[in-house]
Order: sequence, then C-alpha cells, then structure tokens
Amino acid sequence: MRPLTDQEMKTVLDKLANYVSDLKSLIAPLEDGDRYVFRLNHSRVYYVKLSIANLATSISRDALLSLGTCLGKMTKTGKFRLHITALPIIAPGARHKIWVKDNGAQPFLYGSNGGYLWIEVVKAHVGRWSEDCPEHSGCVVYSMADIPLGFGVTARSTTEARRLDPTGIVCFRQADCGEYLRDEDTLFAG
Amino acid sequence: MAPTRTIKNKHAGSKTGGAGGGKKPSSDGISKTKSRSGAKANLPAKQVKGRPNLPGLDKSKKKKKPIYTDKELGIPELNMVTPVGVTKPRGKKKGKVFVDDKESMTTILALVQAEKEGQIESKLMRARQMEEIREARRIEAEKKEAERKAKLEDTKESLRRKRKRNKDGSTGKGQHEEESIAEVAATGTKAAKAKKKRVSFAPE
Repeated sequence: MRPLTDQEMKTVLDKLANYVSDLKSLIAPLEDGDRYVFRLNHSRVYYVKLSIANLATSISRDALLSLGTCLGKMTKTGKFRLHITALPIIAPGARHKIWVKDNGAQPFLYGSNGGYLWIEVVKAHVGRWSEDCPEHSGCVVYSMADIPLGFGVTARSTTEARRLDPTGIVCFRQADCGEYLRDEDTLFAG
Repeated sequence: MAPTRTIKNKHAGSKTGGAGGGKKPSSDGISKTKSRSGAKANLPAKQVKGRPNLPGLDKSKKKKKPIYTDKELGIPELNMVTPVGVTKPRGKKKGKVFVDDKESMTTILALVQAEKEGQIESKLMRARQMEEIREARRIEAEKKEAERKAKLEDTKESLRRKRKRNKDGSTGKGQHEEESIAEVAATGTKAAKAKKKRVSFAPE
C-alpha cells in the first residue's frame, strides 16, 4: 500500500471530476482533525481516512485485501476505471443527475437486455433529468425515490434528449448496483 | 657463386661482386662460408634498399587520425530502441514521488477542477450555439412551409373564383355540375369502387 504519485493523483481526480462538481469536499478536513487520503494497493485506489491508512501499514501488502472505500482500478496503461463501489462518494455531490422510473430501474440494475450486458438508459425510462447537461458528460442515475443506482455518461444533451423518440438512448451505463452481485468475485480482488 | 645469386640490386651487386671478385682467388674453401656470412649480413641492407614502398607505409601510419567514439564526441545515439521505462533521467532522484501532504493535493485538485470546469463550460457554450443555429433553421423552415401553404391557398381561391364565374355565366351547366357534386357527396367514393372488376369462379 502506498500513496499516489503526482500523475496518478491527477488521473484519479480527473475521472472523479466528471461526476462530482465539488472535489474539495472530498479532501476537506474532518471535525476530529482527521482527513481522507487516497491509497493504492494491488492497482486499486482506496479512499480512506488517514488514521486508518496509518494503521493499515502494519499489515503486509499481500495480506491487505481492502481498506476504506475502493474507488476503482488503475489500468496497466495508466488510466483509471471507476467501480460501482465509488458510488457513495460520487452520489452526494453529483454534477448531473438522471432519475429513472420504476419500469426502467429494473432493466438498468439487472443489466440484462436479452443477454446484452451493457444496457443504456432509454428516454422512455427517464423520469426527469438535470438541466443544462451537455452530451458525453458523467451523470449519476437515481431511482425516482432518490436512491442512487449507478452512473453513466450522457448520450445527448438535455435539449437534444427532449426531442428524442422514446426508444432513443439518453445515457450509456458505466456501473450499476447490480454489479455487487454480478461481479462479486472480481469486484474487490483479482 | 652464392653472392652472384643473391645480389640482384645493381649497387649491391657491384659492391659485393667487387669484393667477392677480389676475395675469390685468395681463398676457395673458406671463402664459401665467408661469402655466405657476408650474404646473410647483406640481407637486411638489401631488404631495406629493395623495398621502396616501406618508407611510404610508415608515413601513412603516422598520418592516421585518432578515432573517437560517440560518447567522447557527445553525439546522441540514433536509431536505438530505448523504452520509456528504461531511460533514466540524469540528476534525478531514483523512485516515485508521492503526493500525500494536503497542500500538494489541494494544488492538484484545484488544477484538475479548473481544467474540467473550462471543458464543461466550452461544451455548454458549443451546445448552446448549436442549439441557436438549429432553432434559426427550424424557424426558417417553418416560414417557408407557411409561405408554401399560403401560395396553395391562393391558387385554390383563384380556382374557386373561376368556378363561380362559370356558374354565373351558364346556369344550366352549373346546375348539372351541382347535381353531379351532390351525387358524389351522397354516394361518396364508393361509386367508383363499384365499377371495379371482380373475378368469380363459375359453378361446376
């Protein structure tokens, strides 16, 4: 386990900035004087309290399975992939939001569309969306009861999406809560 | 015998020949050995004198320029496969530099945030501009459509007026026309359909 390098930190924050409007709140000092830091172990980036990260140094790298919240994985090419486990950190400060109706929540979470796993959110399933959302920008998908279900990338801007037909794709899925079950084996290790 | 054979050089021959010639009659048996030793003694002299290129060769050796290696001249190495990870920058400390203190983290964060904000802002601006262009195009298309409709209405109106004029001119014909219109209105378009050919199989 080690802290991130300059370049790694940039990559991680750049990805997070797609979804979160205020990044400063992520590393803001806590009431007890502690603060959150980023740590890397087995190419996975963790968002963890500094006190816990310091305690974790007593555990060897191989023995350390996970700590804090896993944000995602650093690829071998130096890119960063956000995992669904980052949703609790992204959701409170989401830049753009899409609310999916009940009829759309299930297909989104099950990720099954006749065996096709990468399902998109279609216009017919969208209950409402945040205004002034440009295309190809990160958005968090909520249910109508304001429960975050996952996140994705907008396919169209809000104005364009209004003119779309009901089967038109509004958002490309990046991660959904169904992954906790579907990718149970590989989500935290391997 | 021996001196005459070995000596091919004119100068050497004359010298040795002269000497040999002089010595020959004095001693026959011992002179052979002497002459042999003399020939042997003359060999290096013959070799030095008989090879005119030797001095030239020595000069070329002296003129040869010193060969420098690329490193000595400081020429960068070309056409070499040097992966990024392998090349080590000089004067830099070995290992990774971690970002863990709050100040550097905040600096990077501010940089990334500003960059992202700029990107999103430009995206929004572009989207708005495109939207304006689309709106203008839509309005223009609507205008054209309205003009086309107005033109059509005008032609329709003019045709109606012509019909009215004809009606006023000849009442009989107009009455007949009116009747035909009423007939069409009563039967609808089904009257035309009745004329349609039909096929039926003849009973056996």
